[in-house]
Amino acid sequence: MSMLSFERKYRVRGGTLFGGDLFDFWVGPFYVGFFGITTIFFAALGTVLILWGAAMGPTWNLWQISIAPPDLSYGLRFAPMMEGGLWQLITICAIGAFVSWALREVEICRKLGMGLHVPFAFGMAILAYVSLQVVRPVLMGAWGHAFPYGIYSHLDWVSNTAYQYLHFHYNPWHMIAVTLFFATVLALSMHGGLVLSATNPGKGEVVKTPEHEDTFFRDLIGYSVGTLGIHRLGLFLALAGVWFGIVCIVVSGPFWTGAWPEWWSWWLNMPIWRT
Amino acid sequence: MAQYQNLFTSVQPVGPLHHGVDLPRGDDKRTGTPFLVHLLGRIGNAQIGPVYLGSLGVASLVFGIAAFNIIGLNMLASVDWNPIQLLRQLFWLALEPPPPAYGLGIPPLAQGGWWLIVGFMLTASILLWWARTYRRARQLGLGTHVAWAFAAAIWLYLVCGFFRPIMMGSWSEAVPFGVFPHLDWVSALSLRHGNLFYNPFHALSIVFLYGSVLLFAMHGATILAVSRYGGEREIEQIVDRGTASERAALFWRWTMGFNATMESIHRWAWWFAVLCPLVGGVGILLTGPVVDNWYLWSVKHHVVPAYPLGNPVVIDPAILGAKP
Amino acid sequence: MKLTMKLALSLLAPLAAGLLTGCERPPIETVQTGYRGTGMEQIYNPRTLLKQASLTQAPAPADAAAADGPKASEVYKNVQVLGDLSVSQFNRHMASITQWVAPDAGCAYCHNPENFAEDAKYTKVVARRMIQMTQRVNQDWKSHVAETGVTCYTCHRGNNIPTNVWFAPKDRKYANSAMGDLAGQNLASKSVGLTSLPFDPFTPYLKDAAPIRVNGNEAMAGIGNYSNRTSTKQAEHTYSLMVHMSESLGVNCTYCHNTRNFQGWEESRPQRVTAWHGIRMARDLNNDYMEPLTKTFPEHRLGPKGDVAKVNCTTCHQGAFKPLYGAAMAKDYPELQALAKP
Repeated sequence: MSMLSFERKYRVRGGTLFGGDLFDFWVGPFYVGFFGITTIFFAALGTVLILWGAAMGPTWNLWQISIAPPDLSYGLRFAPMMEGGLWQLITICAIGAFVSWALREVEICRKLGMGLHVPFAFGMAILAYVSLQVVRPVLMGAWGHAFPYGIYSHLDWVSNTAYQYLHFHYNPWHMIAVTLFFATVLALSMHGGLVLSATNPGKGEVVKTPEHEDTFFRDLIGYSVGTLGIHRLGLFLALAGVWFGIVCIVVSGPFWTGAWPEWWSWWLNMPIWRT
Repeated sequence: MAQYQNLFTSVQPVGPLHHGVDLPRGDDKRTGTPFLVHLLGRIGNAQIGPVYLGSLGVASLVFGIAAFNIIGLNMLASVDWNPIQLLRQLFWLALEPPPPAYGLGIPPLAQGGWWLIVGFMLTASILLWWARTYRRARQLGLGTHVAWAFAAAIWLYLVCGFFRPIMMGSWSEAVPFGVFPHLDWVSALSLRHGNLFYNPFHALSIVFLYGSVLLFAMHGATILAVSRYGGEREIEQIVDRGTASERAALFWRWTMGFNATMESIHRWAWWFAVLCPLVGGVGILLTGPVVDNWYLWSVKHHVVPAYPLGNPVVIDPAILGAKP
Repeated sequence: MKLTMKLALSLLAPLAAGLLTGCERPPIETVQTGYRGTGMEQIYNPRTLLKQASLTQAPAPADAAAADGPKASEVYKNVQVLGDLSVSQFNRHMASITQWVAPDAGCAYCHNPENFAEDAKYTKVVARRMIQMTQRVNQDWKSHVAETGVTCYTCHRGNNIPTNVWFAPKDRKYANSAMGDLAGQNLASKSVGLTSLPFDPFTPYLKDAAPIRVNGNEAMAGIGNYSNRTSTKQAEHTYSLMVHMSESLGVNCTYCHNTRNFQGWEESRPQRVTAWHGIRMARDLNNDYMEPLTKTFPEHRLGPKGDVAKVNCTTCHQGAFKPLYGAAMAKDYPELQALAKP
């Protein structure tokens, strides 16, 4: 079938959160589970709705298709289908699909006797989506504040939303989030490079040991975080980056309505040194 | 009952400090006595040091510290040597590249000359450091993957500060040294070239940036999830696959239908991380020398979504013959 | 780490973050200015807006004066600008202008109480020119002020000097040294909304007529005679002007633009045309009215470089999208609506 050479012994029953043995099986390499069924339902429905929205729209050009949220005037109410209601249904399907996927991951972890770190990490990404499309619009009083579903149109939303604050780079939480994102990419390149350099040492060399890995970074910068530490660090940098990204956008609007550069006035006007 | 998630080490065994794998003849001795920091040990290794101070490293530090100091002194000078204002306005201060009028010529010291000197010194420092990452790997008998990843980042740095300004014919196009000022440069570049979101290389670079964050979250979480089976001992798992690698692979196979191996995930990681600055640098280099306006470029390539226009459509007053 | 410690930290951390995040809270007001989903919106804090509006009230117009009777120029001496008004109208105007510009100092701010006709005080000379400036705005700059128009109050708001005027910025103390050149930017400046953008967008754009546009009309670089040769640095300068304009009006970039295509007029809002005229109006007022008055002002009224006070967007708008939130004062003062025939 589509099983790896060592897979069969791991395909045991159990670990499910809901539904017992009913959906505890695989289709090809994919584990199903109750939440696999709900994932398929939400994902299929959401995709069909997107396709329908595209069909009702002016184009089938992949880059130009866009399903937009309602006008602000609809507030937090349901809008007519062609006036943003479709967007609302798609959003519900998306959240249903993402949460189902995360719960399915939990079931798979339990079955494999693994910690739940992966679905937890994915939960942070789901939180980011929900913060952008639900939490922030609710705090601001209208679904229309959320981003549209379109490849380029969602970028137009990012550009305009950022310029609502004149110069979004000055948002301190955005600065922290960007720093963490860049630090994640740096750490990933270093970790990937280090492991590959030890296991692919070049012509005529033998595979090296973790002591070599540690020695490389101690020689280079005086410190090596180690094999366990780098995975904690990487997970932390990635999740902290996403977290501050969530903070930076939820604050923009509900908790700060002015230009972001102006936020820094508290620092400049501290009594010890204000001019 | 709360479960231990292996996020922080609760029991730290303390053993003899490691003075590093032996170096071949020709290398210097290592510097510094290693010591332990208990709090660090809760996250990763507790040992700090020793460090290898070779000629490349020392030269790199000399150039780097000199560059840093010149930037700092110019910042201090720009607030009339007032240290309190230096601290207060630190994020706003900068060392600026020359104004556009000087093109690629050597400007006066005060008007971009220092920036040019710092640029040269910082680049020397970075290239020497690169050589150091290459050499340390070779001396330990390791592959040079870290050095080549670093090279991708250096590519982007050189594009922004050297190659693109040269192709534009003006040092003024380069990035200033300063916290907020370099962010102003980012905005200005996008404003000048018709919104960088419409640069497809920029978009691809972001795909690799977000993808790297995604991948490290996935990989970090996966290894921690199988750390009870020794998953973090990746080298050993690569040459002799154990249950940690098997469970990790199967998790992803059952979730998304395919999986990496303990080695290949590090290749995914390396390429995603490296392609972010590599592709990004290409996108910046094209911006100006080749493409003047990315929005108009995207219109030409039929990717720009259409929105209903206002009624009546707004017209440029300058072409209406309005009073200038 | 103990569970209780973890719980305590996880509760404190978001609290700390919350305290530092911003100084505002929901509910907030938003106004959509573009197609749905594009993110073109104005955002207001209703509590701030209420306070600002209550501080920005136009004073009630003076009771109408009779138009009959002798002209002011026949009765009073040295009446150069408002001579065609009746004496009652003229006095009404003087009473209003005192309220608008010098409520504390009274008539003596401009006049010698022993001889109202003489031009001994510079303030009288300046005021005469400013009356002409106001008339000019209302007559020739309808493209910017429409029928709402302006009065002295629009800028002065009861102050001798408007609270927001600009001078050429002072050089730093060691401006000629070999280190620390600011290049006209990289300081925390209120004039550009606390960014490190160029801190004098006024001299090049609201006094001189430096080109503001930085985008070209071609996708590819260097095509034809009209290839776009503007620099990234110029884009920073334009950006600094735009920050000033946004802050002056209490609006953001999407008030005028769809930021995916800043330069495209067809994707912009009509307000952008009004702003285009406003820039030209500011240049006109600074060059034709303020600059020539430089020698008239005493030294303590001039800037650190000896230049005269000049107008920018904040001078009139003072944080409102229309000065005084659109209150129409000029309609009650017809003498301010047209330049007097010579």
